[in-house]
Amino acid sequence: MSSDVILIIVVGTALAFDFTNGFHDTANVVATQISTGAARPQVAIAMAALLNFAGAFISISVAATVANDVVNADVITPTIVFAGLIGAIAWNLVTWWFGLPSSSSHALIGGVVGSSVAAVGFDAVIAEGLVGKVLTPAIVAPILAFVVAGTSIALVYRIVGRQRPGTVTRGFRYGQVVSGGLLALAHGTNDAQKTMGIITLALIANGSLGAGADPPFWVIASAAAAIALGTYSGGWRIIRTTGTRIIKMDAAQGFSAQGAGAAVILASTHFGFPLSTTHVINGGVMGSGAAKRLSAVRWGVAGNIIVAWLLTLPAAAAIGALTYGVTRIFGEGALGPVVVTVASLALIVALFLRRAERGAPVPASSG
Amino acid sequence: MIATLVEGKALAETVAASVVAGVGVTVVFSVAIWGVARFADLSRAERPLAAAGALGLGALALAATVASVVLGIIVMTS
Repeated sequence: MSSDVILIIVVGTALAFDFTNGFHDTANVVATQISTGAARPQVAIAMAALLNFAGAFISISVAATVANDVVNADVITPTIVFAGLIGAIAWNLVTWWFGLPSSSSHALIGGVVGSSVAAVGFDAVIAEGLVGKVLTPAIVAPILAFVVAGTSIALVYRIVGRQRPGTVTRGFRYGQVVSGGLLALAHGTNDAQKTMGIITLALIANGSLGAGADPPFWVIASAAAAIALGTYSGGWRIIRTTGTRIIKMDAAQGFSAQGAGAAVILASTHFGFPLSTTHVINGGVMGSGAAKRLSAVRWGVAGNIIVAWLLTLPAAAAIGALTYGVTRIFGEGALGPVVVTVASLALIVALFLRRAERGAPVPASSG
Repeated sequence: MIATLVEGKALAETVAASVVAGVGVTVVFSVAIWGVARFADLSRAERPLAAAGALGLGALALAATVASVVLGIIVMTS
């Protein structure tokens, strides 16, 4: 009974995390399409939400990695998963409050690793999975997107550079509708699967599923719905701030950036690598900008991504570990997670009310 | 040790697939746009044969783009 209560809290927290992931990432997924005029904001956001939903159903490789290859499911309990989720959410809140860069995906994995180490020790961590499937792809993927987008746009300019700009721009705007759709599909499949993986890990830890089990259909469907709803809800906030936050680029650059991002995320997803999708999308945008002229690139964004790489995993791990320690003060039952959930909700409401009073804009974190 | 920790083969395949799909599809789609743009110019210049050739190449490139995207999604879901 007690573990079922914890499991319900974990599922609810994971889906809330998934919703906020979609909410924050809408800007990254639709920015290039809107900035080049390839699609109206309402259309781009609705399409992104629908394709986020569809994308969540096309693969379970990343979910399998998160559930089985990062921490040893045999020694994990639902309380450990809960503490890891709180570690990720808390770190996202800290970075949001101070305007620091963040990666929801890295925070999620860092949180679970931290709480697992606090509860069981380093034996709980599967080093091969963490290094081989999380840390290395986290570094390689944005650089790869940068190179692919830069190479693509350099070749594009050689092919169509002497043609009439009107025809070329119109052509790439049509192309962007498709490449933008693929990017939304890619975002949905990689990011939603992290939540599926976490819920599956909790179900295995609770004994509801056997070790190595795939996510059940209800987990896939609920994670898909949560990220799609988040994307759709986040969009309306983005529409209001579109003019100030979107990078200026032409349609060919937008197509190259979206194509590179979609290719890298979809290929990585196929091999089960959980990525920070926003880092990859930013890598593609910077690559397509750098190929035209270096000064067009917002190099500050690149610096922020490096800071995010360095800080997110250890910080979320530390908060996850601390949260696990706090839950244990209340014993092994459901009381600890219930107290932490109530305290977290109160803190989140207080932070949002304080931020709303100040009237400051909400910066986007990354997924 | 490093080789054991890093999934070298899967990572190399990811890099290869990303480069082929990302650069390949973008370049092929550019050829489709080039074909349409050249068709319009050559038609205005009253060179119907060359215009038809450019349009044919553009159509072929567009078909290849669509096929690549569909193939990519099929590979993903398999």
